[in-house]
Amino acid sequence: MLRGLGQVAAVFAVLGLFWWLGSNLTANLARQNLGTDFGFMTRPTQFTIPYHSEFLPRSPVWEMVLVGVKNTFLAGLVGVVLATVVGLLVGVWRLSQNWLLARMATLFVETFRNIPPLVIIIFFGAAIFTFGPLPILREAVELQLPWTSDTFLILSNDQWGIPGFKGRSGVAAYLGILGTGLVVGAILWIWRTRVNERTGAPHHRVAWLFGAVLVTAVVGYLALGEPVAIDWPALTENRRRIASGFSMNFGFMALTVALGLYTASHIAEIFRGSILAVPKGQTEAASALALSGFQRYRFVVLPQALRIALPPIINQYLNLVKNTSLGIAVAYAEITALTQTSIGNGRPAVQSIIVLMGVYLSFSLVISVILNVVNRRLQLAVR
Amino acid sequence: MTTPTKTEAPRPPATTLSGRLKSRFFPNPWSGAVSIILTPLLIYLGYRTLLFVFVNARWDAVSRNLTLFMQGTYPRDQQWRLVVQVLLLALALGVGTGTGSAAARDRAEEAGLAYSPPSVLGTLRRFWSLIAFVLILLFMTGTPVPWITAAGVVVAGLLGWQAFRLPRRLRMAGWLVTLLLLFAGFQVVSGTVGAAWVPMGVIAAVALWKTTPEKRFALRMTLLLKVGLAVGALASVRALYLAFPLVGVGWDNWSGFHLTLWWSAIVIVLSFPFGLLLALARRSSLPALRYLSTSYIELIRGVPLITLLFMGQFMLGFLLPVGSSLSRISRSIAAGTMFTSAYVAEIVRGGLQSLPAGQTEAGQALGMGSTAIMRKIVLPQALRAVIPAMVGQFISLFKDSSLLFILNLVEFLGVRGLVHAQADFRVVGHAETLVFVALGYWAFAFAMSRESQRLERRLGVGVR
Repeated sequence: MLRGLGQVAAVFAVLGLFWWLGSNLTANLARQNLGTDFGFMTRPTQFTIPYHSEFLPRSPVWEMVLVGVKNTFLAGLVGVVLATVVGLLVGVWRLSQNWLLARMATLFVETFRNIPPLVIIIFFGAAIFTFGPLPILREAVELQLPWTSDTFLILSNDQWGIPGFKGRSGVAAYLGILGTGLVVGAILWIWRTRVNERTGAPHHRVAWLFGAVLVTAVVGYLALGEPVAIDWPALTENRRRIASGFSMNFGFMALTVALGLYTASHIAEIFRGSILAVPKGQTEAASALALSGFQRYRFVVLPQALRIALPPIINQYLNLVKNTSLGIAVAYAEITALTQTSIGNGRPAVQSIIVLMGVYLSFSLVISVILNVVNRRLQLAVR
Repeated sequence: MTTPTKTEAPRPPATTLSGRLKSRFFPNPWSGAVSIILTPLLIYLGYRTLLFVFVNARWDAVSRNLTLFMQGTYPRDQQWRLVVQVLLLALALGVGTGTGSAAARDRAEEAGLAYSPPSVLGTLRRFWSLIAFVLILLFMTGTPVPWITAAGVVVAGLLGWQAFRLPRRLRMAGWLVTLLLLFAGFQVVSGTVGAAWVPMGVIAAVALWKTTPEKRFALRMTLLLKVGLAVGALASVRALYLAFPLVGVGWDNWSGFHLTLWWSAIVIVLSFPFGLLLALARRSSLPALRYLSTSYIELIRGVPLITLLFMGQFMLGFLLPVGSSLSRISRSIAAGTMFTSAYVAEIVRGGLQSLPAGQTEAGQALGMGSTAIMRKIVLPQALRAVIPAMVGQFISLFKDSSLLFILNLVEFLGVRGLVHAQADFRVVGHAETLVFVALGYWAFAFAMSRESQRLERRLGVGVR
């Protein structure tokens, strides 16, 4: 009885709080003649986004949101890859027998872990790019492949150009073929796993998967008559921007490198801790079975370490994606920076922030779904 | 796959210099190759770093603006407040650690264990990063005030440490004096602005309550008398304040490293009660409370802090009653508290879950009520277990305080904007000021993370 009353009271208190906040909100908005609807999403933004020449002032706000989401996703993806690679390397190096390597890895971890990511981002943005040694875009360094006239790298303090891919006729069909190759590879993977479980024969499933993808890629490429080609980076005539290839602006590079290194320092610690957390008896048992050093690591220690490490590492990925919101400090056009610009241009703040939070919540939701799936898989593997 | 690998064989401890070098740099051929490649690379990097630090860098961008970095735009004629505050905080730190060590000594005596108080050298070693940062600051300044303040800090800290010698029955008083000194430090800077005398009054009342045996009627009466006296004293202090307004500078006008430190401290202190309530609600058997608390925590943890800070700046004003307003720093503190509470709640929940069910069951077996079990058995143990994680959260908050820069508030990182608006440093010194700011954050975060690891070891949390 009392418990029921307590619950009802709590719910009413929360509802009352919401009602109070809501009534304040509507009163304040009404006083300033501001709407409470989301109609502004379809109206023009009336500003341009740097490095996005396809985005015009008459493009609606929802298109701006899409640009922001795309850029947040891109920075998050590149950052996650960078953080994982560097983190794993540094984590293993910290456990190395080599004194120099171990000390360098420790220095890396202790430095990056204890500095705010925002300071690291601004450091890369200001010290490397804006005030760094690189020339301005007009005088960009263009590195050419020897014996050809193709530029493969354009370096400046504003934008970098690297080779990209461009599709010719038949690129859609080629993508379809690549997808089919991936599916075939996955089927082969499952088949090899089953064979391995049934007969104990080595599965070599990674080789099978890659083989299938590679064969379809090469065959499709030849059959469709070169559907994709390398798109070499090149400056426009007036040297104002990079026209072809894959161009990266300095905000993107500063943000991804800084967040990659910051998160790598955390991942390195997680990975080191997980390797140390594998009981010593496991290594000793592997030695007793006469496994070699590599085999002990590959088949005994690492699978168990990975099981401990994966959930916290995915949590770090979540943090990295949330930290891409700091790209605002180097003028990278991700969703937070664009929302701030949009509010500054007179879009309603309350609704804009609700949209912004919705975007981040969906990112977090996707990552936590992945985390749950991974957790469940790992749990099944244990028992 | 012949014999178990050689690397596992126990190595004879290397005693000679060449043996030690060999085991460090050439334990096996691969490692030796790595050493040979790394050594010239490191020498080159070291050379470039030294060249930058001692030859090329324009440190005058930092050294001429040290006051700005530390106290921001705090009025220069009120600087004495900051000095007094630093001394009071040093005294508080001394009393606090002294009382803490004495309490540890008591526990060790009860358990019949030997207790060795922390040595001066050990303390210096533990906080080497902070000491190095302060020394760098001192050697960069050209004025005597920072040196005198630093000397005063050492003296105040050592004086406070004498609380270690106080008899046992004054242990509680030691803690309360620490808290009072902390509040006094806050109060000296902010003057009569803010209502710090209310928490001071609460502390005084609790102090009197706790230092009196509370069984008998007569004692209770004297206690009431004491509380009345305390309240009266506070009221007269308040009256004195009003009569002679010692007008300080409220937090709305704080900036620099001073703001960074206080912002983080205020937010973590405010977040703790909310976090505790949220954690208890999430563990509660009442579904409505559980769902409300869970959805709040997950919602907040799913968005970056910067969106909440934006919400504080752009949205909070709309949510308050018409006509009322909060300053920008107060709004950022509110947003930071909303954010940190969710994380503190998860930490406390971890502590609650780490406690074996037998503890609660033992309480039930003794016929205790659920509130009493929570207050007397569960919470003391759970909260003790989460201290290292709370320190970790504080470090994270301390680093996150740099986001105030994005809101154009002038905290430690934001001071750079003022420095580079000066004619001399418009284009030069950007890397130098950033390195200095990074060093400041690093020195504090590193020292705290070491302390957190040490606490973890001492409390025996996470020992498998």
